[in-house]
Amino acid sequence: MDWAVIPKNIYFLLGGLGLTFELAAISIAGGLLVGIIMGLGRVSSRRWIYYPATLYVNFFRSLPLILVIFWFYFLMPFILGRPLGDFLSAVIAFIIFESSYFAEIVRAGIGSIRKEQVFAGYSTGLNYYKTMRHIVIPQALRNMVPSLVTQCVIIFQDTSLAYVIGLKEFLRRTALVDATQFRSIELYSFAAIVYLVFCFAGSMASRRLEKRRGQGRR
Amino acid sequence: MIEIKNVSLWYDGFRALATITETIKQNQTVVICGPSGCGKSSLLRCINGLERFQEGEIIVDGKSVQSPQTNINQLRASIGMVFQHFELYPHMTALRNLSLAPMLVRKKSREEAEDIALKLLERVGIREQANKYPGEMSGGQQQRVAIARALAMEPKVMLFDEPTSALDPEMIKEVLEVMIDLAKGGMTMIVVTHEMGFAREVANEIIFMDEGKIVERGTDESFFKNPKSERTKDFLNKILPA
Repeated sequence: MDWAVIPKNIYFLLGGLGLTFELAAISIAGGLLVGIIMGLGRVSSRRWIYYPATLYVNFFRSLPLILVIFWFYFLMPFILGRPLGDFLSAVIAFIIFESSYFAEIVRAGIGSIRKEQVFAGYSTGLNYYKTMRHIVIPQALRNMVPSLVTQCVIIFQDTSLAYVIGLKEFLRRTALVDATQFRSIELYSFAAIVYLVFCFAGSMASRRLEKRRGQGRR
Repeated sequence: MIEIKNVSLWYDGFRALATITETIKQNQTVVICGPSGCGKSSLLRCINGLERFQEGEIIVDGKSVQSPQTNINQLRASIGMVFQHFELYPHMTALRNLSLAPMLVRKKSREEAEDIALKLLERVGIREQANKYPGEMSGGQQQRVAIARALAMEPKVMLFDEPTSALDPEMIKEVLEVMIDLAKGGMTMIVVTHEMGFAREVANEIIFMDEGKIVERGTDESFFKNPKSERTKDFLNKILPA
């Protein structure tokens, strides 16, 4: 064992961690935005909204993430006529893939609100949008928070798959250091601890939010 | 005030309402009873357009509920509704439950809406609960807040869909008292309930429904003492204390 390999390469490794966070943050923001739109589409009563949204969600949820990453990596240059760069193509793949999972969380969240709550809003003269905005969505969001946080933790872990297209995120850099220093056990143990710390913090946050939600209010 | 003309409603081929005709005059209280699945709740939901019926017409305060010319949101604002399971907004305090629609629909200022809300909570006897969330109140208190919420829109008609059937026995009375007060104050009300004591005290008309039809109607004690049809007799025997 020689743990010195870690401090020796710490800046290189932490730079990768920065990229991992950047990728995760952009994927979460973009995925959430697209996911909310698709999730609302999934509960729409209008067929021309419902069917495309459903197709999108079911399609991307049926594919392995690694395939989607590869796919966009090779597909985007073909569509655009020029290479897109590994970071941008990873971002697009993640946003599209993760948004299909966010969409299902949004759909389930809205589905968890009983239709009588909607009736109650309507019966006082609120229209569809005001009922959604003031009655359905605030309650649905509250129900969704734990699942959303869990999904963010999963995205953080998923970013390591960008490895396959050569993106120098945290895990890739760990492997690169290992390729020259041959300290696999130390390096991968360190990577494991880093992932563990952040993911555990995430699930703790999720549990706390869930607890707070259960207090006082039904 | 409310005219129901030959209304029929189907759910996927199942006929839930069969050519219902009924007129409810202003300041009257009509009680509807009948076995579960008889269509009484569906009828209520048709009156404020929460359910679309396929045949017939319902006119409330001169406006046809399903006509494209009718602004249904505007019409609903003048029809209060109280639900079996209260349906208070769980993420809002009692006060906010009451002031939301007056602010959003009637464009009242927050101060004015909350002022009215507090007066209404006072009227239903739970002003001290104003800043509590529904989950922190008893069922009876929640239902009284729900009645106050409907009243906050100053409705011309109030619809009650089994308002006491989800309540513990000791809380039924406090809710019924509020409703009796309203009826005696001249509110036009349609009440789906099996509380025959309430019906006896304030109903101008009692309707018995079965299988989507009005089987029998009565205006007073005669409904209880000498029901004409066997179905009504059977039903009353089951729900009235011997």
